[in-house]
Amino acid sequence: MLPFKLPPQILRLVLVAMAIVGSYFVARSFLVPPSFGQYGWYRGAALAEIASREPVFAGKQSCDECHSDILHKLAKDAHKTLSCEGCHGVSREHGNNPDILPVKSTGSHCIRCHEANLARPTWLKQIVVKDHYGPKCTECHLPHQPTKSP
Amino acid sequence: MINEVTNIVVETLPQIQGYVYPNESNVHPVWSVLIVIYPYITGLVAGAFIMASLVRVFNVKALAPVYRMSMLTALAFLLCATLPLLCHLGHPERNYEVMMTPHMTSPMAIFGFVYAWYLMAVLLLELWFDFRQDFVKWSKTTPGFQGLIYRVLTLGVTDVSEQSVRLDMKMEWILSIVGIPSAFLLHGYVGFIFGSIKANPWWGNVLMPIMFILSAIVSGIALCVFNYIVLTWIRRKTVNMRCLDAMAMFLFYALLVDAVIETLDVLHRGFAAEEGFAVLQTMIREKLFYTLNIGQVGIGTLVPLLMLGALQLLRHRVPEAVRRTMIFCSGAMILFGVLMMRWNVVMGGQFFSKSFRGVMSYKMEFSGQEGWLLGAAIMCLPFIILTVLVKLFLSESEQLQPCEHLPENSSKT
Ligand code: HEC
Ligand code: HEC
Ligand code: HEC
Ligand code: HEC
Repeated sequence: MLPFKLPPQILRLVLVAMAIVGSYFVARSFLVPPSFGQYGWYRGAALAEIASREPVFAGKQSCDECHSDILHKLAKDAHKTLSCEGCHGVSREHGNNPDILPVKSTGSHCIRCHEANLARPTWLKQIVVKDHYGPKCTECHLPHQPTKSP
Repeated sequence: MINEVTNIVVETLPQIQGYVYPNESNVHPVWSVLIVIYPYITGLVAGAFIMASLVRVFNVKALAPVYRMSMLTALAFLLCATLPLLCHLGHPERNYEVMMTPHMTSPMAIFGFVYAWYLMAVLLLELWFDFRQDFVKWSKTTPGFQGLIYRVLTLGVTDVSEQSVRLDMKMEWILSIVGIPSAFLLHGYVGFIFGSIKANPWWGNVLMPIMFILSAIVSGIALCVFNYIVLTWIRRKTVNMRCLDAMAMFLFYALLVDAVIETLDVLHRGFAAEEGFAVLQTMIREKLFYTLNIGQVGIGTLVPLLMLGALQLLRHRVPEAVRRTMIFCSGAMILFGVLMMRWNVVMGGQFFSKSFRGVMSYKMEFSGQEGWLLGAAIMCLPFIILTVLVKLFLSESEQLQPCEHLPENSSKT
């Protein structure tokens, strides 16, 4: 006989607590993703999963095949550092099948880059759209040759 | 083209004023309305619990009729406290993984431990000890499924001898003593999450946990007042005015202390006027004008303070019905004001640029993972759970009487 006997309700609670903790550890062994902790405190398989995603951007070189004229124009003017898809949106599908047009086939939001903002570097030419000549940028600037006018 | 340009002008530009780093000009702040609700709900839990401990630990007998209701309120809200966070995850469907792999050094992950401790070790245990006797009684008298629930909840212990009941009470008393620091921990933790962000002048502030706890107590008592009046109204009972007056009194003092501490915080910031103070002023004057000055300070603090303060002075001159309405209105206004306070803290910290020279804004979405529809649903859920709990565990006859086993016995044993 024990000299001290646990009261029944405490005994039950201890048992329930043990059951909860036990089932937590059982659940852990099922629910922790298998590759967890492979490299660190995350799912190792996540890396492979992310790497296996289809890219949606094609890159400038892939446009060369069909739009080499524009590539040349672009390369000679102020927008030479920009990528086509920065203005036209993701276009990988379009490169594979020209019937599907790029997301923004008619160009870009010029003011996304050119609206005056103190936080922008000063070498980037900026305008205050309200005070500039007009809202329809392509009337006066060729998007692929921004220093030239149509 | 013209279309696109004007779209952009409308879409992004009014959201930003002044000098904002380009990578800060997101469409949404990262912490959306769900993160506003999360501290609100945990605050209500902690507050309702502390209100209940007034009965157990501090022996305030006038509040005994609402002891069980406030404990059940705390439970109902605690069960929903993690929901806003889990819905906010990038992959809500994998939320269990976060619980299966707890991390000891991440301040965010510590909430899991705080939560589990509070739910399992404090709230459920205390409720169980409080209800055990009744579970045994009800399991004998209630037929059907409901009886089965009670029987399961007894955990098979049917001993209701005087000796074991006395043990229950002792345990309850110990648990509510453990519970008070735990409730402070639960909500102090939430304040700490914000207060520990040193780089953000709106958040990084040692007073933050304290303000969170005080406003939690205020909102918890207000919620109990609200629930109590609504419950008696639904059940067509009369309100126990002694109890309600006592709640109003505690509500008044808690609100007073809370208001003083928050004013102190404002004065301190104003006097110290550290770097970034100018942008905080813009926030108070423009960005958060309605939610802060009108919502939090006006509706949430000053008006209830006046109403409750007047009641403290003139309690016996004011007829009961008027008093009841005034207390109810103050409770509801405080609930609203504390929600606004959470909004001001969470959103305020994200509305200004890290340059301290520009401000952003936030337009709530209606639907979607971060929309206010989901937020409203999460806010309704605890009330639904509470309704079920009250149906199961607060029998109509018992409602207005103090619990049969009075708490004062417990402190004597
Ligand atoms: C396989 C050849 C091919 C490739 C590769 C290709 N395009 Fe095209 N693109 C076309 C053809 C053909 C058209 C004309 C389609 C039409 O007008 O129906 C076109 C039209 C366009 C247009 C104008 C759409 C319009 O409304 O007039 C844009 C913009 C464009 N391409 C961008 C790109 C970009 C950016 C890339 C590189 C990611 C690219 N294209 C790669 C064949 C190609
Ligand atoms: C500065 C943003 C910008 C960049 C960078 C850019 N485009 Fe464009 N592009 C436009 C705009 C704007 C139009 C629409 C012109 C119009 O409507 O007159 C356009 C039109 C076109 C067209 C339609 C036919 C034409 O010549 O007007 C094609 C094809 C095209 N772009 C391909 C390209 C390719 C390929 C590249 C990358 C080498 C590229 N663009 C880079 C803005 C850009
Ligand atoms: C992705 C950002 C981006 C977008 C979108 C963009 N630009 Fe540019 N733009 C630049 C950069 C970078 C330069 C080069 C700045 C420099 O070197 O001075 C430039 C240069 C220019 C210049 C030349 C200024 C000069 O005199 O040297 C003009 C004009 C211009 N952009 C007009 C436009 C127009 C019109 C559009 C819309 C069709 C547009 N830009 C869209 C980034 C952008
Ligand atoms: C009515 C014709 C017209 C329109 C429309 C127009 N621009 Fe210009 N833009 C000009 C002229 C002319 C200049 C060169 C003289 C100057 O800098 O004022 C210029 C210069 C610029 C520059 C170079 C500024 C610098 O500091 O050198 C940028 C960038 C530019 N424009 C962008 C835009 C954008 C973006 C739009 C569309 C919102 C646009 N422009 C619409 C006529 C126009």
